[in-house]
Amino acid sequence: MKQRKSFGYYFLRNKNGMIGLIGVALIVILGVIAPFLVAYPEGYTADILLAPSLSHPLGTDKLGLDILAEVIWGARTSLYVSLTAVVISALIGIPAGLISGFVKGWLGEIIDACIDIFLTLPMLPLMIIMAAIMGTSINNVALVIGLFSWPQLARVTKNATLKISEMQYIEAATCLGLSKPRILFKHVLLNATGPVFVNLTLIMASAVLSEASLSFLGLGDPTTWSWGTILKRAWTSNAVISSPNPWWWWLIPSLCIVIFVVCFNMLGTAINDILNPKGRD
Amino acid sequence: MATIVEFKDYSMGFKDDDGVVFNLLDQVSFKVEEGRALGIVGESGCGKSMTSLSMMRLLPPSAVVQGGEILFQGRNLLQMSDAEMEKVRGKDISMIFQEPMTALNPVLTIGFQIGEALKIHEPSITKEEQQKRVVEVLAEVGISNPETRLNQYPHEFSGGMRQRVMIAMAVINHPILLIADEPTTALDVTIQAQILDIMKKLKGTGGLVVVTHNLGIVADICEEVVVMYAGRAVERGTLKAIFDHPLHPYTQGLMASIPTTKSEKKPLHTIPGTVPTVFDFKEGCRFADRCERCTEECRKKRPPLKKVGDDHLVQCFLPFEGEEIVHE
Repeated sequence: MKQRKSFGYYFLRNKNGMIGLIGVALIVILGVIAPFLVAYPEGYTADILLAPSLSHPLGTDKLGLDILAEVIWGARTSLYVSLTAVVISALIGIPAGLISGFVKGWLGEIIDACIDIFLTLPMLPLMIIMAAIMGTSINNVALVIGLFSWPQLARVTKNATLKISEMQYIEAATCLGLSKPRILFKHVLLNATGPVFVNLTLIMASAVLSEASLSFLGLGDPTTWSWGTILKRAWTSNAVISSPNPWWWWLIPSLCIVIFVVCFNMLGTAINDILNPKGRD
Repeated sequence: MATIVEFKDYSMGFKDDDGVVFNLLDQVSFKVEEGRALGIVGESGCGKSMTSLSMMRLLPPSAVVQGGEILFQGRNLLQMSDAEMEKVRGKDISMIFQEPMTALNPVLTIGFQIGEALKIHEPSITKEEQQKRVVEVLAEVGISNPETRLNQYPHEFSGGMRQRVMIAMAVINHPILLIADEPTTALDVTIQAQILDIMKKLKGTGGLVVVTHNLGIVADICEEVVVMYAGRAVERGTLKAIFDHPLHPYTQGLMASIPTTKSEKKPLHTIPGTVPTVFDFKEGCRFADRCERCTEECRKKRPPLKKVGDDHLVQCFLPFEGEEIVHE
């Protein structure tokens, strides 16, 4: 008789998943132990715009601050913002999508209308207005991003729910006497994990990007470092177009964002593949 | 012998977009006794599935109940609250579905799914007890190695095995009434016979309703038969009465359509035409358009229900020997 292997067994054999996990783990570790690694970059020094060298592995910026230190402290913020934003949008988006897909009648209609309205609103200008009104702090940035990224998650969840609730095993579950909430949050949601998971990682990735754009536009928290803040400083000092070009200043934080996004996507896709019993073999 | 479920002049229909109700099931009456099996037969679209879904109170949203009663152990199912119905479903009445390939949740192990059916109706059960009961019921429906099979997912089972799992799920709470909606349609013939054997064994513990278009299955496991046509129970009675002396032209047509092993070189009998949809029913007998013995009267009036012999009822204008009109 074939024995069932554990989740870990399949995960260790999933190349993308491992690459993603290692990448995400590195960023998380970097963010968590940042204070023990390097001092918080603040003030200014005389080492202006130094190219990468042994004493400054990633170079310095126009204020003479070490880019490596900025990137490490920035990982913290980016991680915090994207995680918070994902949690907020998952808490709103998943139940909203499930209910609007499963419950027919006025409740479903209202949620549906809300999703449509939010989807048609231009996100960035609204984020800018919200951030301007609520003030610039990390929590507000995370909240704003979370509040504006749930509709796409809700839409994806709803589509999956619509399909799944027509399946016969949902009817069979009703016949067994299971209550509606249980069917919805156990049987339907578990079957919808595929698209939902992928969408969550996408939101996570776009949260980092949104945070960067908000910081870039000066609506992030000016007192903390994030990858977006570094980019903004580079941009306002014309680092991107000036010559000789301090490429390390703008390239490194951009690369960090790309790596973060890609790693999270890979991890999310791998988890989804492994959770799906058919995707393992 | 206690009556388990009884339909009393039950009528239901469908609402169209304008809210006009079109009648489908028209004053259907029958009952299922303890330890016996009732077969509901008819072509596709005759209202067989609606009859079984009515017992579970799981009709589609556009369906409207128009009258009558469905008594389950003396309680009218139609008047129960949703909360009461949730307790009845899966515990007292459970159902086996037609498609074993789609009726199991693909992302949960079968052990979990069967266990859930048990746990939901017996919340105080311990983990070990639950596991034990699931293994027992799997063994009962003929799944070898139940302990290992528990942790497998539906896609690791063959069609016949899945149907066994479905049956295990339906019977784990020892339901008083088991409804099987086309239980073997999706299976190949050898598996069919095994599944029918399992169902025959289960019959002893309560009532069984088999919904099917396969008369062979009815002959194999049922004691009583209801023949449905376009929402009306055109003929009902004991298996022997119906199979030996089919009276209604529709029943006779069905019987004649069964292929036999006798090699007479003539084309198999067919009933011309198709079942009208619920929106196209006419006055009078609903079978009139396809009936070889249709008269003027048939097209004008609803045929009377006649009692012919002890346990044999038929709804037709044709004269039968020893008939006695029950109601017009």
